[in-house]
Amino acid sequence: MLLSVSVGEYLKSLFFDRLPFFPDNIRISLFIIMFCLIATIEIYLYVFLKKAKNKRDNYLNANWKEKISNMLSNIIIYGDEDDGLENVVNHFLPRFKKLPLKRKRVRNILIEEIRIYHSNFTGFTADVLKELFIKLELHKYTLEKLKSNYWEIQIEGIREIAQFWLYEYDQLVFALTDHEHEIVRMEAQTAHVRLNRDNPFKFLDHMRGRILPWHQLILFEIITKAKYVKIPSFVKWLGSRNDSVVIFCLKLIGYYQQLDALAEIVKLLKHPQEEIRKMSVWVIGKMEAEFVEEELLKIYPKETQKVKLEILSALGKISSGNYLSFLKDCLLTPDFEIKMGATKAILGHGRKGKLMLQELQSVVSAKNSQIIAHVLDARI
Amino acid sequence: MARILLVEDEELMLKALEFRLKKDEHEVEIAKDGREALLKIQSADFDLIITDIMLPFVSGLEIIGKVKQTPHLAKTPMIVLSAVGLENVVLEAFELGVDDFITKPFNLTELTIRVKKLLKK
Repeated sequence: MLLSVSVGEYLKSLFFDRLPFFPDNIRISLFIIMFCLIATIEIYLYVFLKKAKNKRDNYLNANWKEKISNMLSNIIIYGDEDDGLENVVNHFLPRFKKLPLKRKRVRNILIEEIRIYHSNFTGFTADVLKELFIKLELHKYTLEKLKSNYWEIQIEGIREIAQFWLYEYDQLVFALTDHEHEIVRMEAQTAHVRLNRDNPFKFLDHMRGRILPWHQLILFEIITKAKYVKIPSFVKWLGSRNDSVVIFCLKLIGYYQQLDALAEIVKLLKHPQEEIRKMSVWVIGKMEAEFVEEELLKIYPKETQKVKLEILSALGKISSGNYLSFLKDCLLTPDFEIKMGATKAILGHGRKGKLMLQELQSVVSAKNSQIIAHVLDARI
Repeated sequence: MARILLVEDEELMLKALEFRLKKDEHEVEIAKDGREALLKIQSADFDLIITDIMLPFVSGLEIIGKVKQTPHLAKTPMIVLSAVGLENVVLEAFELGVDDFITKPFNLTELTIRVKKLLKK
């Protein structure tokens, strides 16, 4: 006590009585010391309050999470399919309605927990959870999320719509499929494919932004795994000005073996974009379109290395045997990758190709002979 | 009533499955990671093991391998419950000797039917 009074008196006398008589440099130093001291105390106070707030939030979140999780578990344990969906939902609904859902914390935890449970189950359990989500009017908050100015929240909204199959909001999701934010756009397109059974790829008509390779993968997974998705003829988007749309459609044409698209694909062999030409050649190879081989040979001399290699690979897949002499000539080029590509293409011709390579092995140069030995090695 | 070991790292799933299996009057032991599962397998016998693939410390595939290599456990039926539906993972699991593979999301009733069927065998 004595010490604090004396320190207080000392500071008082220092800053109010003696300060005017100190030299300027001492006065400035004292002000800086005081400023730093106050700033440090403020920072400590801020950190302390922040930590206390986080601790309280975590505690409350954990409590609510446990409570809600137990309530949802009860549905899974006691929700009997034989009682019917409506009865089960109506039985559990009053308990959920007692939750203070106007509080954002509780509402968000409930939505999150329902989503986690829903994503792990199908059938009756998933139907009950969806019905509960709707009867608790949580979908109204989903709509609010969709209209948010923050993209992270918009994404949450889109995901909820897609997860709970809220078909009536499909048009709202569709409007976001050309959103300026890449991730919102991607999520909306993915959701649209899930929700729109008649025309799931409508968004490709007006798409301006790129479909990123990893987004193509996600879409590809949804399209190929979902049995309900109505697969259209992707040829109608091959004329798109958006290169990523063309590439994506070419991949799907190849996957679904849409042979009616071949005439359009041949036209794409003259496309200014290397990636599109390469992908077109890949599709031709995948479809084993023998009648397009000649077109591939025509463009080969003027093509880039990447496309040339794809053409060689396509010739190997088609394996008509009509261009074996061309492939043999490729072995004479100085380019290692071309030699390797041509050798693999010859081997792609099956027994005939293998015999040819074995014959060639003794007549070609030592380097080419090594390449052939490498390709013929069954262990590689 | 059968003694079932349930290996799952997702708290919610673990709870839901545990309750559901107990409702069917099974005795359920739980393990939240691969290491805990291996310890439980070594210390007790089970009539059925249900395991996830992606687990902390020791993967589900390693657990299957370990179970199938241990003589007194080798005949214990196993169900894999996983979000990883990749063909090679499914094939590897079957090659190691699992009896069933269920991909998440799944139908709980379907799981209980499969459990009953395996236990009858």
